[in-house]
Amino acid sequence: MDLLKSFKDNCGFGLLANIKNIPSHQNLQDAITALERMMHRGAIAADKKSGDGSGLLLSMPKEFIKKIAKEEAGIDLPKQIAVGMIFMRNLNQQEVIDRICEKNDLKVLFYREVPIDTTALGQQALETLPRIMQVFITTNSLVATKRFEALLYLTRREIENALKDDEDFYIASFSNKVISYKGLVMPTHIKHFYKDLNDPDFKISFALFHQRFSTNTLPQWRLAQPFRTIAHNGEINSIAANRYNTFMKSEDLESEVFSKEEMERILPITQKGISDSASLDNMFEFLIVNGMDFFKAARALIPAPWQNAPHMDSKLRAFYEYMSVCFEAWDGPAAVSLTDGRYIGCILDRNGLRPAKYVVTKDDRIIITSEYGVLDIDEDLIVERGKLKSGEMIGVDLKFGKVMKPKEIDDYLKDANPYDKWLMQNVTYLQEFLEVPFSKTDAYELDSLKKRQRFHNITEEVIEMVIEPMIKDGKENTGSMGDDTPLAAFSEQQRNFSHFFKQKFAQVTNPPIDPIREKVVMSLNTGFGEIKNILKETPQRATRLKSISPILMEEKFEILKSFGDPSKPRYKECYKNKTFSTVFEKDLKGSLEKLVKEIVRSVKEEGVRIIILDDRGDGENIKAIPMAMVVGRLNKVLLEEKIRHLTTTVAVTGEAYDTHSCALLVAYGANAIYPYLLFATVNEYLKKQKVSPYQMRNMFKNVYSALNKGFLKIMSKMGISTIASYRNSSLFDVIGLSKEIVDDCFCDSVMLLPGLGYEDIENRLNRYYNEAKEVERVEMLFPLKIGGFYKFIHKNEFHDFGPLVTNAIHRASITGDKKDYQTVQKLINQRGLKMIRDFFEFKSDREPISIERVEPKEEIFKRFATAAMSLGSISPEAHEALALAMNKIGGQSNSGEGGEAPERLKSEKNSKIKQIASGRFGVTPEYLRSAEEIQIKIAQGAKPGEGGQLPGHKVTPLIASLRYTIPGVTLISPPPHHDIYSIEDLAQLIFDLKQVNPDAKIAVKLVSSAGVGTIAAGVAKAYADKIIISGGDGGTGAAPLSSIKFAGNPWELGLSEAHNALKVNNLRGMVHLQTDGGLKTGMDIIKAALLGAESYAFGTAALTIIGCKILRICHLNRCSVGIATQDERLREHFVGTVDRLINYFTLVAEEVRELLASLGYERLEDIIGRSDLLKVVDHPKAKKFDFSSILMQTPGVNTCQVDSNKPFDENKFEKDILKKVYSAIENPSSPIVVTEQIKNINRSFGALISGEIAKYYGNNGLPPNTITFKLKGIAGQSLGAFLINGISIYLRGAGNDYVGKGMNGGKIVITPQTQGELFSCAGNTCLYGATGGKLYVAGSVGERFCIRNSGAEAIVEGTGDHACEYMTGGVVIILGETGINFGAGMTGGVAFIYDQKHNFIDKLNQDLVYATRIDTDERDEERHFIKKKLREYINETGSKKAQCILDNFRHTIRDFWMVIPKDMTKVPLNPEEGD
Amino acid sequence: MQNFINLERIEPKKRSSNERKKDFKEIYEVYKMDEASPQAERCIQCGDPYCHNKCPLHNFIPFWLKSTAGKDLELSFKISNETNPFPEITGRVCPQDRLCEGACTLNDGYGAITIGAIETFISEEGFKQGLKPSFKPLVTDKRVAVIGSGPAGFSAATYLLRAGIGVDMFEKASKPGGLLTFGIPNFKLDKEVVFRRFRWLEEAGLRLHLNTEVGKDISFKDLLEKYEAVFIGIGAEKSKRANIENEDAQGTFLAIEFLRNIQNKIFNLPHDSKYNVEGKRVVVIGGGDTAMDCIRTSIREGAQSVKCLYRRDEENMPGSKKEYKNALEEGAEFIFNASPKKIVVDEQRRVKAIQMQKTKLGEKDESGRRRMQIIEGSDFTVDADVVIFALGFDPLVPKFLEENGIKTNEWGGIIVDENYETSKKRVFSGGDCYRGSDLVVTAAFDGREAAKHIIEKYFK
Repeated sequence: MDLLKSFKDNCGFGLLANIKNIPSHQNLQDAITALERMMHRGAIAADKKSGDGSGLLLSMPKEFIKKIAKEEAGIDLPKQIAVGMIFMRNLNQQEVIDRICEKNDLKVLFYREVPIDTTALGQQALETLPRIMQVFITTNSLVATKRFEALLYLTRREIENALKDDEDFYIASFSNKVISYKGLVMPTHIKHFYKDLNDPDFKISFALFHQRFSTNTLPQWRLAQPFRTIAHNGEINSIAANRYNTFMKSEDLESEVFSKEEMERILPITQKGISDSASLDNMFEFLIVNGMDFFKAARALIPAPWQNAPHMDSKLRAFYEYMSVCFEAWDGPAAVSLTDGRYIGCILDRNGLRPAKYVVTKDDRIIITSEYGVLDIDEDLIVERGKLKSGEMIGVDLKFGKVMKPKEIDDYLKDANPYDKWLMQNVTYLQEFLEVPFSKTDAYELDSLKKRQRFHNITEEVIEMVIEPMIKDGKENTGSMGDDTPLAAFSEQQRNFSHFFKQKFAQVTNPPIDPIREKVVMSLNTGFGEIKNILKETPQRATRLKSISPILMEEKFEILKSFGDPSKPRYKECYKNKTFSTVFEKDLKGSLEKLVKEIVRSVKEEGVRIIILDDRGDGENIKAIPMAMVVGRLNKVLLEEKIRHLTTTVAVTGEAYDTHSCALLVAYGANAIYPYLLFATVNEYLKKQKVSPYQMRNMFKNVYSALNKGFLKIMSKMGISTIASYRNSSLFDVIGLSKEIVDDCFCDSVMLLPGLGYEDIENRLNRYYNEAKEVERVEMLFPLKIGGFYKFIHKNEFHDFGPLVTNAIHRASITGDKKDYQTVQKLINQRGLKMIRDFFEFKSDREPISIERVEPKEEIFKRFATAAMSLGSISPEAHEALALAMNKIGGQSNSGEGGEAPERLKSEKNSKIKQIASGRFGVTPEYLRSAEEIQIKIAQGAKPGEGGQLPGHKVTPLIASLRYTIPGVTLISPPPHHDIYSIEDLAQLIFDLKQVNPDAKIAVKLVSSAGVGTIAAGVAKAYADKIIISGGDGGTGAAPLSSIKFAGNPWELGLSEAHNALKVNNLRGMVHLQTDGGLKTGMDIIKAALLGAESYAFGTAALTIIGCKILRICHLNRCSVGIATQDERLREHFVGTVDRLINYFTLVAEEVRELLASLGYERLEDIIGRSDLLKVVDHPKAKKFDFSSILMQTPGVNTCQVDSNKPFDENKFEKDILKKVYSAIENPSSPIVVTEQIKNINRSFGALISGEIAKYYGNNGLPPNTITFKLKGIAGQSLGAFLINGISIYLRGAGNDYVGKGMNGGKIVITPQTQGELFSCAGNTCLYGATGGKLYVAGSVGERFCIRNSGAEAIVEGTGDHACEYMTGGVVIILGETGINFGAGMTGGVAFIYDQKHNFIDKLNQDLVYATRIDTDERDEERHFIKKKLREYINETGSKKAQCILDNFRHTIRDFWMVIPKDMTKVPLNPEEGD
Repeated sequence: MQNFINLERIEPKKRSSNERKKDFKEIYEVYKMDEASPQAERCIQCGDPYCHNKCPLHNFIPFWLKSTAGKDLELSFKISNETNPFPEITGRVCPQDRLCEGACTLNDGYGAITIGAIETFISEEGFKQGLKPSFKPLVTDKRVAVIGSGPAGFSAATYLLRAGIGVDMFEKASKPGGLLTFGIPNFKLDKEVVFRRFRWLEEAGLRLHLNTEVGKDISFKDLLEKYEAVFIGIGAEKSKRANIENEDAQGTFLAIEFLRNIQNKIFNLPHDSKYNVEGKRVVVIGGGDTAMDCIRTSIREGAQSVKCLYRRDEENMPGSKKEYKNALEEGAEFIFNASPKKIVVDEQRRVKAIQMQKTKLGEKDESGRRRMQIIEGSDFTVDADVVIFALGFDPLVPKFLEENGIKTNEWGGIIVDENYETSKKRVFSGGDCYRGSDLVVTAAFDGREAAKHIIEKYFK
């Protein structure tokens, strides 16, 4: 795979239809208008013409094609007619089409060159413009319409297969029902480009439309959407697994539509080299063509979350459970519009991560789009303005002219077959046969336990750091700081095979999810048994053995085996099992092949269905082939042999004892794992503790539950919800294994630094085995190895921040003495081949120069920054020392996210970089305005894809005040930014920030991972000014140990990939690149520069300079050197000084100068990106690895060439208004009222003006109502973002997503023209991270309302799912229905819900909050507070509903719930005061 | 763990100075579990365990602190005894304040963990509860000869026996333990503690040949022939002198001889009465642990007064601060920045006084230690009846080394390669006879590593 040219895409999308199926040209016009109005959701090139592609999938314009057939070919079209829309190059391709059509009994009537106007195209589009042809096809003989459709599909697939090597050949559509007009054109130009679209006779009844935002700048015509059946906004996170599974399911297909022979011609279902969305389209189309019901197919591929949804109708759950046997979710953020020609529909992913909003009109139109207001529809015409909630589907049956609401679709699905009965009869749950789990712990008594533990690297450290916390706390251990050990491939110590793999995680183009707060959408349900024909619904298809987790304990394992053992009464042939030992003597590769061959034979000849791989050996020989290798190889071979669908694999292994190693096996194909050695270790541990049998069971269960939580965590990092979608996903980067091994066993993963082969691995295994056998040779009092992987142990794994280095850095920083610094240099620069950069040495093309000629250190300081560390994670003393020192030398310090005291903002203690992360703590207009650079932290090296927590005991009064919360309240940062689920969302946030502070550079922090180059290119296209590539070794204040260790790659890999990907995409000149991760010396800086970094951030090193001793206890608030703590007694021990920082950075800068002189260069600028000045060291160890991808050179500029990466949208709208209101800013005593029309393209309204006010007045802003806006229409995204005191926005109409995001003061009032439950007034994620102000909406709002609100007061009439998630402050009143998962992770603030239907409690997430009635004497204060607020709300909005509640207050008050966090005793009703 | 914020460093109870001066019994009590466990719980469990890194044996200190905090004595015992051949001895005699405890993170402002005391506790309490070091039954007829039963040989024998390799140990003294027995006074290390270990070694297959001097009672060649390998751990017994006038006068003692004689006296073995210091004014020259041992022994032996003269200042004393403090408590007097010039004698060449010169500290030398400079004309005298030189030791080079081609360096140290093998194949060495006078713990380290290499090279 070419990482530099690969891409990901997100977009704006929608559909429009006439419900009565009446075609009109106006429909087409409207679809195009809607598309144009979402242009800000796509990418636009500098020429304002080139985009990443857009298109329309239209109902067949029958009138039009009849006309042109007559006019252009003189043909009267027959009734059965199909039109193919084809991108082609040459006549040969035409011949293939003719030939295959004829073979399939189809007749090509004529070809038509589609009339186009190329002046509508940008340069790049023009260069790649294909010949766009339409082919008109009919049947040769009389066939039914159904058969005609089948033949069209068959023919198309055959043509595609025949021409699969012609990259420029593409069939955009080939149908009798729909036709596609798409290409590399901007929505505004599509009508100019396709002349057909201007013909008034071109009448359509529906359209799917789409605008693409690709992360690269090498868009292709074929990649434009919509596809033949869908248009997708989002990303399929589980795509690798879905593609693999599609192949697996294709092994045994029986269709009622196609014969076996025809099926052969159709396969494979998904084509190679296409996008995730295109694969989904392939699959959906395949199911539909083969006769699967439209709605069933849609819901089979994108199911609602049903596993942990007790509120769901049981029959509907049965439908989903039945479908889940054959279909795993295509999981990820998705809003998909689909059509088969008769039905059109739109479906939202299970977690509601994309917006899908709809409007139904009185003139029978339905429009579903990413945003409201893309068509200017008279409000009087609107019957309903709604939106889809998580996992919902809406559809239209065009035949009967009927809108099908989610409820109707569900009712239809659940009654389509007696699924519940089928399941009752055929599904067996292992749990049913299990009396008490972990009651038979004798089974965990193992012979040669110590030898096994030694062989599998279970050290005392592992027991203490990994296993014991699982036993005690039932969850994975938390650690802190970063990983400073070498890659497994470079290590000289015993390392696990799983260490060669780094977890993948979501960043920017897709969001991670929260496995704790949003676990309602997740599941680990695991099934055993074969996959039957997916095209036919039979009761037998439900036959499955099921477990709720892929982790088996002895009892479950025995039960599972009993079903496959002919000597047992439970035996069923379909579960027949056989155990295969993975132990080997010698010849690793040969043994692996032999084993796999034997398994294949057993499956084919003996009918084995459950493959049990067992590495226990006989106690004597326990040297086993790495289990991941066996599982991966087997997964590949079984598929090649087309027997994968028959089998399930169970790994009985000593290798799996942490969450990482377990997830690894599942990702490469294992269905279940029996981690016997882990349990044996736990057993030994507990026996020693002499606990009661009851405690023993509970502690075993703790371990079990910890592993399950670990699975959820690892899946959630990649945004995957169910284990079925994670299995076979290969979601790891493989670092340091040879191409041969990766090709054989892990072929769907990205291979980095190809290196160690079978022989090397075998040598290592031999060594480990010999060392394991040591216990038999020597009497050891303590027979385990001690460890050294997590913490430094003498003569064990290398740690870059070992005691000597730490002491040396302390010394050099105190003395500033060059001699002392030389000790550091020696320890780091001559540490041996530990880190990737150690394998490179200089080879300059110039003679050394005198150091006097090199730029002064002040120039170099400008490129230094400290890494983001929030006040909260570190003490005020440490935070201020970093800021002072960096300001003094002219570098940049980074606030981290968590606010900064106002008095610092205008002093020399101001951090130049202000961070904005997913928690949005303390992110106010003043904070943002005080920044020279605003850094959006997408991911953090130590824990990419995860959120964080600041435990209550660290929230001191100072921290609480900066974060707008209450001391002692735990603060949770969610894993994703809830306003960034895709690249166009990031573009929106960047746009927001550029409004609120037009002077600041906007930086985006990413973490090194294969594919980060693609992301970086996308980020550059989203108008970021700077991109930070963080190494996976970066530090943290607290993170799960496995995240610190096993997620995120070294920065060298990511930096080089990003630098080159930006160059390939001609984007390097638009952005500045920074890197961080374990940088300590000038040598590190120079190497980072040569690989493409223009600036450099120091995290752990900076802390070490101010006294950090690498204690790795930051998460415990016990830092003895007063850095990572808020405890005043400990802070007295802080020894850091500004001088120490200056001393050390001076030494580093001087080393940089010396090295520059030795290279013969005067300025750092001149060597950036010059990887040609590096060469691989001459050392046998270096020869093992291929470093070429890191040292590669691509043509183009190497550094940023622009001052600022200016967005396409100049926001003229607000700029003009700012001029009008400027007088009020200058003179707040004369208030001003401005009346305006607003459209969805007017985004972030209020941010620019708020920023301008903050610049002069700080967060105090202006007196209330100094500036009042009276707006009419549909506002664009982020209305009132970062709004400040003094501004009031009255909107008559509706808002889109992110209303009041980051709002600090002022007021937003939204009232629709027509009130009522059917009228939604604002989109998703409103008031995200708000710190103050008021939002009144006389209507309902979208998902995740008030998420992370810490101070705003809000009143609305209904919300979507996950309302008040992570809320830490503020007051929310909801006068209507909410969605599910209300109050998840809510640790502060208060919410009142008017629950007229008495169903609220089912929707409440009761983990942290509880609901209580307020119609009691005790709650008298609250009761009257509500009344007061209702009056205020009615005054502002004129809400009829509120009036009605107030009028009947004596009755209605009974139906109010108050929701408050469990650990808050007193409710602050006045958010300004807190409590 | 990390309980340092709530609990201070509390050292084990010490007998009062008045009481302890009267006998040679150990002055520290061993912790009880309810004392050791909370002290261990103060440990930070650093990511960079400085204690472990500084420890010459690289003991897994944080690990056994954690298990002690969790009151898992067995685990503590095993981990502690795995890397250390005699933890209850190093726990007593190591200068922890210069090693583990000195490096302890908490030593900056909080009070280091009482590592030594806890180490002693773990094994002593373990023994009490029936835990014992375990050994593998002998797996081979081939044996290893160990010359010298001091810490290095003691350690080597321990690790050889654990691998099931028989050891014959040759000791010229009548009791085993070398320096542990004759060089370290009882009040620091009760001899039973040493002998207990030897008994266990003998149970495991150690043949202990006491009163047997190699080169005299048995020839080195014999050993080479009879044994698969030989380990030489004969220590450094040659006391350094000050090179001053009259340093051989009557009443001048060498530290090791003085200490050995007193120990013999305690053992009721033959000893020389000339080392009797009762009622005398004693001056000890030197600032190391041996000097402290001599001072405190003299006090216990009833000296009228004991003064210690040291060339540098208090800050730069090489010995353990703990021992310095104990000596002070017991009534010793210290004179710093004083360098001996000559011994003043009477007619019978008996010590009368010692003449000293004042010193000052100058610039740092290459090793980072400040140079000492004599202040001219600053002479003064201190009256004395006995002067004890505690100025360190050099190896005593037995003849058999040269005879068998075992190379030594200019000051007599045995030269070994990175595997502790000497210039003669199958002959290994470690401890003070290889590194010059050093610590018990470094000798223990040498013995352990040498044993590993012997096993690796000759028994695999």
